[in-house]
Amino acid sequence: MRKFIGRATAKTTRKILRLMGKGATTLPGKLALKADPSIIAKEAAGKNIITITGTNGKTTTSHMISDLLNELGYDVINNISGANLASGIATTLICGKDEIKKTDKESKGTVYVLETDEAAFAKIAGDLKPKVSVVTNLFRDQLDRYGELTHTRDLIAGGIDKTEAKLVINSDDSLVASLGKGREDRSLFFGMDKESMRYNNEKYPPRKSLIPASPDAVYCPQCKLRYEYKARSFGHLGDFYCTGCGAKSPENRFSVLYDLKESPSKEGYAFQIKDSATGTVRDQTLKVPGSHNLYNTCAAISAVTVMTEILENNGGASADIFGKACGSTGKISAAFGRMEKFKVKNKDVCILLVKNPVGLDRSLQFVSEAEDAGALYLLLNSNFADGKDVSWIWDVDFESKAEDFPENIYVSGQRYGDMLLRVLYTGRAVTASGEEKEMKDIFDRALSECPDGKCVYVLPNYTSMLALRAMLVREFGIKDFWK
Amino acid sequence: MAKLVIGHFYPDLLNLYGDRGNVLALAVCAQRSGIDVEIKQISIGDDLKEDDIDIGFIGGGQDSEQNIMNDDLVNVKGPVIKNMIENGTVFLTVCGGYQMLGKYYREHDGSVLNCLGVIDYYTEGEKERFINDTVYELTKEDGSTVTCIGFENHSGRTYLGEGVQPFMKVVKGHGNNGKDGFEGMRYRNTFGTYSHGSFLPKNPEVTKMLLTLALRRKYGEDFEFDFKAVGAEEEARKAALKYIETGKEQMI
Repeated sequence: MRKFIGRATAKTTRKILRLMGKGATTLPGKLALKADPSIIAKEAAGKNIITITGTNGKTTTSHMISDLLNELGYDVINNISGANLASGIATTLICGKDEIKKTDKESKGTVYVLETDEAAFAKIAGDLKPKVSVVTNLFRDQLDRYGELTHTRDLIAGGIDKTEAKLVINSDDSLVASLGKGREDRSLFFGMDKESMRYNNEKYPPRKSLIPASPDAVYCPQCKLRYEYKARSFGHLGDFYCTGCGAKSPENRFSVLYDLKESPSKEGYAFQIKDSATGTVRDQTLKVPGSHNLYNTCAAISAVTVMTEILENNGGASADIFGKACGSTGKISAAFGRMEKFKVKNKDVCILLVKNPVGLDRSLQFVSEAEDAGALYLLLNSNFADGKDVSWIWDVDFESKAEDFPENIYVSGQRYGDMLLRVLYTGRAVTASGEEKEMKDIFDRALSECPDGKCVYVLPNYTSMLALRAMLVREFGIKDFWK
Repeated sequence: MAKLVIGHFYPDLLNLYGDRGNVLALAVCAQRSGIDVEIKQISIGDDLKEDDIDIGFIGGGQDSEQNIMNDDLVNVKGPVIKNMIENGTVFLTVCGGYQMLGKYYREHDGSVLNCLGVIDYYTEGEKERFINDTVYELTKEDGSTVTCIGFENHSGRTYLGEGVQPFMKVVKGHGNNGKDGFEGMRYRNTFGTYSHGSFLPKNPEVTKMLLTLALRRKYGEDFEFDFKAVGAEEEARKAALKYIETGKEQMI
């Protein structure tokens, strides 16, 4: 009865909010959880669920998994708008059928693809009982809200232990990789191929900066010794090992073979994915550019392979299933605010949401390598959802990339003064800057000064992205995410 | 050409909340002012001699990271750092780095973190964290005052002993302990503050003061230089003050 009331509450709320033109991605679930605190467990029972957690790449990876499954013949229900707390997940479980992404093939069934906040995962993993759990990475996030990284790792470990999920986890991230310890029988690792990484480190050494970026998790928490690295990709990700306890980056089942002769920031970057369980190697082109999307793509193909093996092959490794997953990337597209591109007259606008240091680092790297970059527009707000503290912009290494930023740089948002100084400290000039209410005028200027055929890259944080999108919907008629 | 060596202590462990920006500010402003700069990263196991550096920076870290470097700071580098501070080397320390120069830090659960004990103050941890924008008033050596801005995020409450000067007066925010209206400390040429943010890029007067102290200590009291920051600091300060005054969603 309570479940019925919970469901009815959620569905009615959703209808009313949608009529009012709202996204209604969290309130229905919030009310349903009030009416029936066990509604997530009841709704999740018997469903095929994949969860995706970690500080970076959740939304993009979830989006990729959904597109792959669709292409493979599965109907998909997801919380792609990014409502990834218990309330948003309850909403998706109850109301998701209304906006199921139907496969255009004969349906093999329905899979729920749920991006899950790290702290929420700890609370609801036991209710969700996912068949597959992906952990992308753990980078410093909004520390004023989440606290220590090791604590976040422990939260995820607690959640995992309430499930029997197969774990698809990043071998290059020392904190994430440690989740496999004691859970060997259900852990499958993905990451950069270790030989590839070494080759690229030697052949294309990274540019030196005045001060290196602030690193995370570069010490072994057990031995208090600095990890040694045989090779690195970015941030603290790489082929690490501890000289004390011998902990090291585990061997991958799924790995990325790559060559930085070309830049992954270019459209159509070619690489390969290897499944060492079956010794299969498949050619790929990167559908969403950016070096970090090599990890996201590999995570998505890994998760889809493992899920399909469970559903179609009793969990056994299959070269055929892996091959099909790799062959289904054709329709992958960018997620809400993540490399989303649209045309305004004869120019492009691309939004790259940046919420934390490593996200900003990767986005700046991308813009500095993008051949079509015609302008860089940085937006910085500090509402509660962003984190009140904007000091993290100083943890990012702008210096090694700044000379390759486009000629015109613009800055706005509630904390535009902080971002203005951050850019000036690189030695680069800022073309125009101003507070939040000038966001539109500065955008117009950036667009008009951007050369034809080039792209204005906008890097907002969370609430400045919402404000930007509202402006773009109003002024340029681009679509809202739930439509 | 005059030259300064900046020592960045434990950059791979004490690197919270953009504190790295303080080292960047010292280095970039010195370079713009015609001073040659070298940055030395000094972490666990690295050698440290008293004359190695002209300005030291020690930031704050997460508890687990402070536990990793604490022994190296207190027991290995401690005696050298003590001499440096007593002999007038310029240091800026923030949050954890500030706390660890004092006599002790007792957390609210009763556990005690080893500290250097070189300056007379102590810190008591409490459950409630101070997380908010801050505004301070700094009285400069010539008696004039300047408004400084920052962001604090700490659960420790620091109490200064006699003979230790506060660094600044609190205009908005909590400061050392939320009670006495003061922020940070100064002892000889060593400064401590709870202000993250980063503090120096937003407050070029403080950057100038630290560079001046270090250059005069090294090249004599009559050393003059033409200080240059990056420009737009005044605009950024006004924007921040306006936001702080009108900001709706202030936390505690």
